[in-house]
Amino acid sequence: MTITQPVSIYLHIPFCLKRCGYCDFTTFAGKDVFIPAYVEALCQEIKAVTGSINQKLAVHTIFFGGGTPSMLSLGQFGSILNILKVCFDLNWDVEISLEANPGTINLEYLKGLRELGFNRLSLGAQSTNEYELHLLGRIHTRQDIFSAFKAARIAGFSNLNVDLIYGLPGQKMNKWKKSLDEVVKLNPEHFSLYALSIEKGTPFGVLVKRGLMELPDPDRAADMYEWASEELDKTGYQQYEISNWAKNRYECIHNLQYWRNQSYLGFGAGAHGFANGMRISNVARINDYISRNGKTSDLVNDRPIGKFPMSPATVSKTSLSNHKSMQETLMLGLRLTGEGVSSRAFYERFGEDLMMVFGKDIVELEKMNLVEWSGDSLRLTKRGRLLGNQVFIRFVD
Amino acid sequence: MTSNIRNFCIIAHIDHGKSTLADRLLQVTGTISEREMTEQVLDSMDIEREKGVTIKASAVHMDYTARDGKTYALNLIDTPGHVDFGYEVSRALNACESAVLVVDATQGIEAQTLANLYSAIDANLEIIPVINKVDLVSAVPDEVAEDISSLLGVPASSVIRVSAKAGTNVEAVLEAIVEKTPPPSGDEKAALQALVFDSHYDSYKGVIAYIRVVEGAIGATDTLRMMSTHFDLKPVEIGIFSPGMKPVKRLIAGEVGYIATGFKTVHECRVGDTITQSVNPSAAPLPGYLHPKPMVFAGIYPAEPDDYPELRDSLEKLQLNDASLTFSPETSQALGFGFRAGFLGLFHMEIIQERLEREYDLNMVFTAPTVEYEVQLRDGTTVVIDSPAALPEENQIVEVREPWMEIQVITPTDYYGPIMELVTKRRGIYKSQEYPAPHRVQLNYEIPLSEIIVDFFDELKSRTRGYASLDYQFIEYRMDKLQKLDILVNGDAVDALAAIVHQKDAFHKGQRMITKLKEIIPRQMFDVAIQASSGGRIISKAIVKAVRKDVLAKCYGGDISRKKKLLEKQKKGKKRLKMVGNVEIPQEAFMAILSLEDD
Ligand SMILES: Nc1nc2c(ncn2[C@@H]2O[C@H](COP(=O)(O)OP(=O)(O)O)[C@@H](O)[C@H]2O)c(=O)[nH]1
Ligand code: SF4
Ligand SMILES: [Mg+2]
Repeated sequence: MTITQPVSIYLHIPFCLKRCGYCDFTTFAGKDVFIPAYVEALCQEIKAVTGSINQKLAVHTIFFGGGTPSMLSLGQFGSILNILKVCFDLNWDVEISLEANPGTINLEYLKGLRELGFNRLSLGAQSTNEYELHLLGRIHTRQDIFSAFKAARIAGFSNLNVDLIYGLPGQKMNKWKKSLDEVVKLNPEHFSLYALSIEKGTPFGVLVKRGLMELPDPDRAADMYEWASEELDKTGYQQYEISNWAKNRYECIHNLQYWRNQSYLGFGAGAHGFANGMRISNVARINDYISRNGKTSDLVNDRPIGKFPMSPATVSKTSLSNHKSMQETLMLGLRLTGEGVSSRAFYERFGEDLMMVFGKDIVELEKMNLVEWSGDSLRLTKRGRLLGNQVFIRFVD
Repeated sequence: MTSNIRNFCIIAHIDHGKSTLADRLLQVTGTISEREMTEQVLDSMDIEREKGVTIKASAVHMDYTARDGKTYALNLIDTPGHVDFGYEVSRALNACESAVLVVDATQGIEAQTLANLYSAIDANLEIIPVINKVDLVSAVPDEVAEDISSLLGVPASSVIRVSAKAGTNVEAVLEAIVEKTPPPSGDEKAALQALVFDSHYDSYKGVIAYIRVVEGAIGATDTLRMMSTHFDLKPVEIGIFSPGMKPVKRLIAGEVGYIATGFKTVHECRVGDTITQSVNPSAAPLPGYLHPKPMVFAGIYPAEPDDYPELRDSLEKLQLNDASLTFSPETSQALGFGFRAGFLGLFHMEIIQERLEREYDLNMVFTAPTVEYEVQLRDGTTVVIDSPAALPEENQIVEVREPWMEIQVITPTDYYGPIMELVTKRRGIYKSQEYPAPHRVQLNYEIPLSEIIVDFFDELKSRTRGYASLDYQFIEYRMDKLQKLDILVNGDAVDALAAIVHQKDAFHKGQRMITKLKEIIPRQMFDVAIQASSGGRIISKAIVKAVRKDVLAKCYGGDISRKKKLLEKQKKGKKRLKMVGNVEIPQEAFMAILSLEDD
């Protein structure tokens, strides 16, 4: 096996100061003492995985997500990046992103990140409304957002994303407009806008179940989405994915990798990877993750850890049939509102004609005004963007 | 040799401890060892165990050495525990000489205590009263013994007190059975009359008939005859239950056992029929044979059209064991190809539904149960319909008649008012009342069957904190102002959602139905109009607004599998919906009419 396309690398940092009310990511609050061991385990895992393939893979994006990656020290990032440099071919124009909580960063830290090579910062702002931040259980204030943003610019970040959440329980349109407008004024290069979804087992999920919190109104969320799309369009951002907007040439290359159904390696507790025709995922608990990549990892090279891209922390693996890969290419690619799925690219990749494989569903979806052709690309219609699941379920079993 | 035989049954209101006592008897007589003792041996189907109700009768032979030093053959015949199976109960009773009447020491006498008791007295059985659950702190055995004493005219002190669960005083029950049960009469040399009181299908030996030999004898190689159908049979085997099937050479008058008939369906060997010899047959069958008639009907449709043959096969298999289940093909515009099935009652229907789901793993749509209507037409003919959609046009109808029942509700006197209100609301007519025991009143009403198959029992229970109990019997068909309630979805009437309702309820039920459907029908890609119409008028309407937002936002660090799982789940949920025209309707909508009561 040889991998010819550059891959992406995702590193999961499952630590937070406090869990937000809506959050169901793999993350843990109050486990900071494990950070050093965790960083060590990450390095071991990277070595183990790259040791199982006799090729130095070319990498074009690195993304630290969480959790709250900005809880790591500069030194810790330094050691991870050093390992990555040894194990991969980074002689490219590599996009190196970090998710940062506005409550955890200052100018000095940001300057240090720049020096380490970070060139993209994603700020988890969520809202500029003090009450909403409190409701969501965020650890930062409205002022933290503005200060963090300003500091990031001073530190030299020229590629900034801001995450916002809309459709909060009881949230009125004017509150949402204000949040978005205030951030637009900051002039970031990129926006990610997410509708709040209430997940089972989260504090919000429990409140809703007990009748103590109302479910967000989906129609109001739809209004907010439509308004935001127009607003961003007017202010020079282009939508390229259902939840993502960017100024010209500032799309997040790392995210595109997922939607284009290209290879990525995931390191860390609960991380996911896709390469070599396999989707894999890692053990979620921090302790398990650390022990699986523990000191015994000297033995890793003797221990059969399985086929690339599996690691000692891998707990599940799914090999994809050709048909499944084709399905996923559509399920993911149709999220890309601009480029969609090109039938030529599809043919080049699978040697089969898109319409021969999925023609029946595609024609039906066209009739429902959910998808359309733009040149040789199939993509969501404007209406389809809000009803994406009705499209995507056609491409799962 | 029959002087040492005792044939008895145990009768009780549900949950008073019939099965537990039976298990204890099996244990004490050593019929089954401690080790084999799974709880409630006689209730063998999973559903029976879960519902705690015996669905089919069964029989077991026990040897018991009494205090008088003699060994007796005791045959326990277990009877179905639900009023839906009343006919099977009466056949089982006819196979015995005595009945152990079990009454819960905390609950006292209840509706089915009485109903079963009256049936047992009708069948001329000796009654052996037993108070169970005396171990419970809330037990009031003295009070219950007084009630039983005044009911049966026996001294309160003669009522045996046991705890079936703990096994306390169970020997006393066995002794009483030996002492009080008359040994069977019957002449071993007379022409054979054997009563079939139950049957089940065995894939190796065909239908197994559970029999009580009333007169004459059966040899293992005799040629036998079913008296109602004149089918002849060569038994594959004859035997007794101890408790497994144990072959014997001969069964004589007074004995209880089985005949493996080799028949392929229970229809050839119906409960209640008499078996005789084909050579020298009995002149007449035993009295009381009848076909129990289905009372409640519902459509059964496969959720996926492809499953139709599987559904048919499964129904056929269930029918092998259950002669009272009927079905015939039916087509619905909304639901496609399916079956109209007939059941003895709502409980029977639930059992079938569960067995189809569990044993045959079928995903089905059941439509709301209805009764059978007699419709007199202007052209002088009468048609019988068992589906609301089949009701002819109003201008062709002279009158519609529906089945009426008499019901007995037994309740503590405090709940008199709420029950009266419930029954009157449902078009019931008060007839009389009795006081079978202190603080208990038995209210006798007449009421249309259609009113009690919809949620009546649950309502009754909730209005009386679970104390009231119910028994019912069919009386006759009666005319009333009945009309069709149609539900239109985007302008088209949906046959499977139609109902027949009383004129005075049409408006209310139509409105409730629309409110309910508005909750149940998920938002679709376009607006869906739902309307209720009856007697030529639109009664109620509502719009299910088109969905605007249905999209997963976030991707957690490349976690595609999770996203995919959610989509797969959504797709699966969608598949369970029924496409009616271009509208997707969940299965529960077809049962919505069952839960219209506002609280
Ligand atoms: N405490 C107590 N519970 C009992 C006794 N006999 C039966 N039960 C319980 O009462 C419930 C109903 O008993 P079961 O034999 O299934 O009643 P059936 O419906 O008449 O067959 C079960 O939960 C039994 O465990 C008893 O003597 N004492
Ligand atoms: S900061 Fe992010 S990862 Fe951490 S708890 Fe809040 S939402 Fe979850
Ligand atoms: Mg029972």
